[in-house]
Amino acid sequence: MAIINATKTPERAAPLGERSAIGWVHKNLFSSWFNAILTVVTGYLVFITLSGVWSWGFTDATFVAQNRRECYDNSLTGACWAGVIDWLDNIFYGRYPRDQIWRINYGALMLVLWMAPLWMGRVKGKILIGAGVVVFYPFLAGYLFSGGDKGLFMQVMVTGAVVALIANTANMLTGVLRGEFLPDYLLRVLGKTTAPDKTQHNMLLAIALTVFAAVFIWQTSWTAEEVSWTKWGGLFLTMVIAGIGIASSLPGGIILALGRRSKLTVVRVLCVAFIEVFRSVPLITVLFMATTMFPLFMPEGFVLNKLVQVIIAVVLFNACYMAETVRAGLQAIPKGQYEAAHTIGLGYWRTTGLIIMPQALKHMIPNIVGSFIGLLKDTTLVSIIGLFDILGMLRSISKDLPWLGLHKEPLIFGAILFFVLCFSMSKYSRHLEVKLSAGNQH
Amino acid sequence: MTSEQTQGQLASAASTEVIIEINQMNKWYGAFHVLKDIDLTVHKGERIVVCGPSGSGKSTLIRCINALEEHQEGDIIVDGIKLGKNLKNLDHIRTEVGMVFQNFNLFPHMSILENLTLGPVWVRKMSKLDAIETAMTYLERVKIPEQADKYPGQLSGGQQQRVAIARSLCMNPKIMLFDEPTSALDPEMIKEVLDVMVELADTGMTMIVVTHEMGFAKTIADQVIFMDEGDIVEQSGPIDFFDNPQHNRTKMFLSQIL
Repeated sequence: MAIINATKTPERAAPLGERSAIGWVHKNLFSSWFNAILTVVTGYLVFITLSGVWSWGFTDATFVAQNRRECYDNSLTGACWAGVIDWLDNIFYGRYPRDQIWRINYGALMLVLWMAPLWMGRVKGKILIGAGVVVFYPFLAGYLFSGGDKGLFMQVMVTGAVVALIANTANMLTGVLRGEFLPDYLLRVLGKTTAPDKTQHNMLLAIALTVFAAVFIWQTSWTAEEVSWTKWGGLFLTMVIAGIGIASSLPGGIILALGRRSKLTVVRVLCVAFIEVFRSVPLITVLFMATTMFPLFMPEGFVLNKLVQVIIAVVLFNACYMAETVRAGLQAIPKGQYEAAHTIGLGYWRTTGLIIMPQALKHMIPNIVGSFIGLLKDTTLVSIIGLFDILGMLRSISKDLPWLGLHKEPLIFGAILFFVLCFSMSKYSRHLEVKLSAGNQH
Repeated sequence: MTSEQTQGQLASAASTEVIIEINQMNKWYGAFHVLKDIDLTVHKGERIVVCGPSGSGKSTLIRCINALEEHQEGDIIVDGIKLGKNLKNLDHIRTEVGMVFQNFNLFPHMSILENLTLGPVWVRKMSKLDAIETAMTYLERVKIPEQADKYPGQLSGGQQQRVAIARSLCMNPKIMLFDEPTSALDPEMIKEVLDVMVELADTGMTMIVVTHEMGFAKTIADQVIFMDEGDIVEQSGPIDFFDNPQHNRTKMFLSQIL
């Protein structure tokens, strides 16, 4: 006899435990007597810890004071945040001259404004924007932060950067207001949309050169006061080292990974050796070696200042870790993709750039951002070789006469600061993953 | 399982011009001798079906023709160009010989239209608009123009394979190679892909197809080749091959699949 279900079984609501807050609490915290007791006990422990931290950090804490003695006079059991607040300028900017701090702020603001269009949906030409940032911003920021006389090369690059920034802002406006790419907008306004390609290119080139010349003349009248790199410190220095490290280690890592997978033996052996050497020594060793051995390798009279040595060391070190991450991502791409690209005639570089890398990078995002977060935290090692990054500054507070012996508060502040930075990167990584997998189901 | 033969024999479009010549070709994978003394001549417009048990080297053979695999001995001459170490020759071969794979190998991070226009824009240096026009023409030929803006993951297997065929055709190749194009498809989708291939054969394209679809072979093949353990065991016209196989191994193979 066949079993037949003539009517479709109706849907019913899920049991209470699955779909309400009370249900969740009951299921996860109070499901049995033992669990209930555990919940109460842990709840109590959490409560007394948090209330202890709260009273130490907020209710009993001193926020304004001249020195540690005053903190104690005000409250014996509370935190002495006044020391940290007093040193805030140093923590963020190091020993940069206080009247020139606006340069650092401007530099940071410009970077944010420059990169903002990358998040705006309607703006076109994002790859060019990204390329512009990577090529020009370092020179503009470098000059803005160190100042001094500009050689011709520096003048050209600074001009280029300003022109790029102007173009970027204009592009952002045309993108947001009209959904157009800047060159298209200009051509339309000048009535040359249907002109032959050559005429179009010449017009755009002419506009670009005019703007370039104007900016060049303007910038010759403007120099920034020189600030030696020895005065750079605090969060500013950390951001400089980490920023350059992050921006350079990814392309460097990609090149090393491709080299390691190359069929050319010499390239492969060199890349393998390079990667394995740097992965086998701790970063602190690399930093020490960079500061002591680089001067021996440099040609006569060519002196690299310590900051540059450190940055080079950090970049090389992280490029090697990045190379292994990239290689893992490349290996995950099925061979069929290479073969399909081969059969439609794409050569090595086009296959890698158009087919393999876009797919591989998506897989690698968690690891890459993890590497970046690690890099940011590793920059604290430079405090050991005498550069005053955040950690260096924070530890100097306890050696400052008014705040002698103040250890806890600066370090806790440092921890909070790093947490904010690293957690933001982690959140952004998650956002990127979600954004890039939508619409591209495998 | 073979799909039903729905039409009679397609008229041969073979000319006398030789487009592929393989002389005493041998290939080893390390110590394993995978292709042994292969001799094959393919004329322009000819349609060759290669069949045989798995491991017989039929996929390897066609992959050697478009330089996806290297051969150690013998000559392969495609469209007058001898395959060897010369990279420029290899580039030319790649654009003239299209290939369709068993698992489609579409680029999942690009839309269908982008998959199709990639080759023409980057290799043939076509303008974007011309490439899109060509792509839409071929998409209409494989009967799925409405899928142009979708991503490969959103298409069925049969549709993906048809897109793969269109992608190869967008490069205007002289020769099309098919490596078991329907083996990864559900039975109800096999027919739609085979129909596209029959229509392609009708336009006079030189085709080499590795397949188990014997009905299809009977319809379009000018020559059927049976390979076993690296040898070309038997090669003849479709009627002779299926009705009057000569070699014992061929007879055994045919008795298993028909």
